[in-house]
This record gives sequence, structure tokens and C-alpha cells, in this order.
Amino acid sequence: MKVSNHEEFEPRIVAFLCRWCAYAGADLAGVSRLEYPPNVIPILVPCSGRVDPQYILLAFKNGADGVLIGGCHTPNDCHYVSGNYKALKRYALLKKYLEQIGINPARVRLEWISATEGQKFARVIREFTEELKKLGPLRLR
Amino acid sequence: MSTNKIKITIVPGAACGGCDVSLANLGERLLEATELVDIVFWPTVADFKLEDLKNLDHIDIGIFIGSIRLEKHAEAAKILREKAKFVVAYGTCACYGGIFGLGNLSTREELLKKVYLNTPTTENPEEKIPGQKVVINGVDVTPPRLTEWNLPLNNIVTVDLYVQGCPPIEDSINHFYEVLVSYAKNRKPFEKGMMIPGAKTLCDICPRKKPEKIVIEKFRRVHEGPIDDELCFLAQGIICLGPITVAGCGASCIKANMPCRGCLGPPADIIDRAGKFISTIASLVEIEREKELSDEELMRIVQEIVDPVGTFHRFTFSSGVINKKQEDAKK
Ligand code: SF4
Ligand code: SF4
Ligand code: SF4
Repeated sequence: MKVSNHEEFEPRIVAFLCRWCAYAGADLAGVSRLEYPPNVIPILVPCSGRVDPQYILLAFKNGADGVLIGGCHTPNDCHYVSGNYKALKRYALLKKYLEQIGINPARVRLEWISATEGQKFARVIREFTEELKKLGPLRLR
Repeated sequence: MSTNKIKITIVPGAACGGCDVSLANLGERLLEATELVDIVFWPTVADFKLEDLKNLDHIDIGIFIGSIRLEKHAEAAKILREKAKFVVAYGTCACYGGIFGLGNLSTREELLKKVYLNTPTTENPEEKIPGQKVVINGVDVTPPRLTEWNLPLNNIVTVDLYVQGCPPIEDSINHFYEVLVSYAKNRKPFEKGMMIPGAKTLCDICPRKKPEKIVIEKFRRVHEGPIDDELCFLAQGIICLGPITVAGCGASCIKANMPCRGCLGPPADIIDRAGKFISTIASLVEIEREKELSDEELMRIVQEIVDPVGTFHRFTFSSGVINKKQEDAKK
């Protein structure tokens, strides 16, 4: 998927999607045959609150150009009550960390996507792909 | 039975001297064990050159202290690996790159420029910077060149045993000494990749009172007002790296009413210390009132933490998953 000189750069997105909301939303986008770019590698997680920032760093290290965390809407949709809040707070701090180490914080994105929001999932992927295209590939030293 | 003695070398990389002193403590005991151990190379205490290391035919236990920051450190590390049956990374710098790792937030060129040209007290009209060839009276006296980045030992060679600590202190030294002596006595090889002390976290042995649920409403720094000397620092909103630091110092800073800055390094199961701590610390913020506060407000509180890299990875940035400053954010 990575660039060759003449082809347009196709970013690689690793998406950690919680099984109750965001993954179900992605599923719905699929069965509804909504169009969105094929740039996303979905990873099913039990809850967005289980997405350890260590794994986000590993995703970047191993070739991701962007990382999406998809969870249930705040305040009350999380199946485990408050896992989405954990995700939110970690995401905020991780962004600050990434900026400090010279990685554009826009490469990580957090979205609340419910099981009925297939449309939203497709839109988020479209937007994120566009944004990452503008940023270009993440080349680590 | 001098033929049965084991040969030990102590090779310095980029080190502050603290590990040398701590090894000197060990050295006293090693000297008592002269029938077991021969220290055949230790430039810090006697005049040895890299050539002497090259000329040794074999080494049983090769101890390396400090990080890799000069090309000659990398060269010494490779020679050590070639000759030694076991290579030991002694101290946090050798294990993780240590405090010098924060130098990886600048490139080598930026560091050299800053230090040799741009500090207010520097006068260097010829712009001489280490790394350039220097010949005086026909003799090549070129100073050693910095490596591009500061690195832990295991980025250059395979390491068999890690002794954590900045520097390693009492318990770890004792443990290490036992390992050495047991090897010298019966040539019992140690488990490869072993870490001393290794497993438990500082929180597991910390004497402070820990409330059932730690809630952080606001972050405080140590200079901001009084600190309760019995209550867990995190419960007071003060960042303490106990949860991501291995137990092995007897909680020395904690007992002096200072939070842990993580000098021993992490327990073995941590992949990236900063990532892990972001996970831990963010979870604790306003955990009782998440649903009352807006998402923006929660994010704001968490982002009040000053200098996440320098705080969470103070001693370990060189061994982080992403271990150097990237150029991506400039875009
Ligand atoms: S680990 Fe600490 S004591 Fe040892 S050389 Fe590094 S900075 Fe000095
Ligand atoms: S966070 Fe610090 S003060 Fe609290 S228990 Fe752990 S080591 Fe002790
Ligand atoms: S309390 Fe932390 S910073 Fe202090 S000596 Fe122990 S590990 Fe190092």
C-alpha cells in the first residue's frame, strides 16, 4: 500500500474498534455497501478502554500512517460503563506525547461511533484518509 | 587454582561515574574473592586502552556500563561481545540508554551546534566542532565522534544479563555478586536475558498509604505546596513513576518524601514506559466525575501534565518504541 514515486500515496490506517459500537458500525457500513476507502486495517477490541497507548506506538512503529480509536458515545453508551472515558483521557495525553516526540498528533484520531452509525464510520474513514494523504507517509527515523 | 578463575572486564560507555562507584563497591568484595575472579580490564581504575581489550583471548563475564553515545563505545561493545561468554548491561544507561536518552529529542548536529556554537558563554570563531579531523604537529588527534543517537547496549549487541539501577544499589549489587560467584564456583550459566531485580513494581513495596480508589482532580508538582509524607503521591496528584518502576531501591526517594522518577527502569513486561504510564495516569483523572465533566474539560486536565516525555521516559527514552525525535510534526 505504500508509495511508489508516481502513484498517489495511500495511507495505512490501523483502527482499534470496540466490538459493541464502532466495530458494529463498521459492519453496518459494510453490509449497507457504503463506500469508503480501503485504507483501514480494523482490529476488534472488547472496549476502547482496552486500547493501550503502547500498542498505538507499536502500530506507528510498524508502518501505520494513522491510528483510529473507535468507541461508544459518551456519556452513557459504553458497555463497560466508562471505558470510553479511559480512551478519551489517554488519547488526550498521547497526543501531547506524540507532539513532543515530533509526530503530528493529527495521526491519531478518536471517534464515537454507535452500532447504527455506519454512515458516520464511512465518513470518518474518508476524512481521515484525506487528512493523512495531506500529511504524507509517516517516515520514522 | 588460578586456572579456574573467571575473567571479568568492565567496559565503560557514556557513563556519569555513578556506576563505576557502585561497581567499586562490588570490586571490594571481588578482591576478597581473588581466588575466583580476575578483573582483566577496567579503564576507570587503571590505564587500559581499547587495544588491551582487543588483545584479550577470552572473557567470561563482560560488564558494560553506560550507554552508546560515541562510535568508540559501539566498537568496544562489539569487541566485548566477540570475546565474552556473557555480556552484562550494568546500570540504567547500559540497559535503557539512561538519562542521556533525552538527548535523542535533538539530532546530533543540533546538540553539537548548541553546545559548541550557540550557548551564550561560547566563543568559537573558527566553528570547531568535535567530529572534524584535527591534526596537530602532524599527529592525528581527532576527538571521538558522537554516534547519531544515544542507544542502549542491546541495540548494538545481544545482552545476557541486565542489572537495573542508576546506579544499581545494595540489593541488586548483592544479587549480581551472587550470580558472579556462583558462576565462578561451578560455571553455572545464568538464564539468558535475566534481569536484576526484574519483576515487582515499586508500588508493590512502597510503604505509603494507598486509598482504595486513587482519584486525580488536579496535577501538582513537588514545589507546589506541602506534601503529605504518608499518602501515596498519585493520590495527591503528584506524578510518581512507582507503577512503571521495578522495585529494587528500597523506595529511597519515597522515604525522603520525593516521588519516584523511575531511575531503575521498568519491570520486564513493559513494552513502552511512556505508553504504559499514559494508560495508567490518564485512567485516574477525575474518575468519579467523568460523566459530569465535558469531554473537553477532561482532556484539558490530562494535558496539564508538563513534559510527558521527560517525565515518563526520563531514563528510558532511548529504549522506547519510538526512541528519537521525529520530523513529522513540522509538516
Ligand atoms: S546508570 Fe546512572 S549512575 Fe550509571 S552511568 Fe548512567 S547515569 Fe550514571
Ligand atoms: S505511586 Fe508512588 S507513592 Fe504511590 S504507591 Fe506507588 S511508589 Fe508509592
Ligand atoms: S524511588 Fe525511583 S527514582 Fe528514587 S531511587 Fe528508587 S527507582 Fe530511583
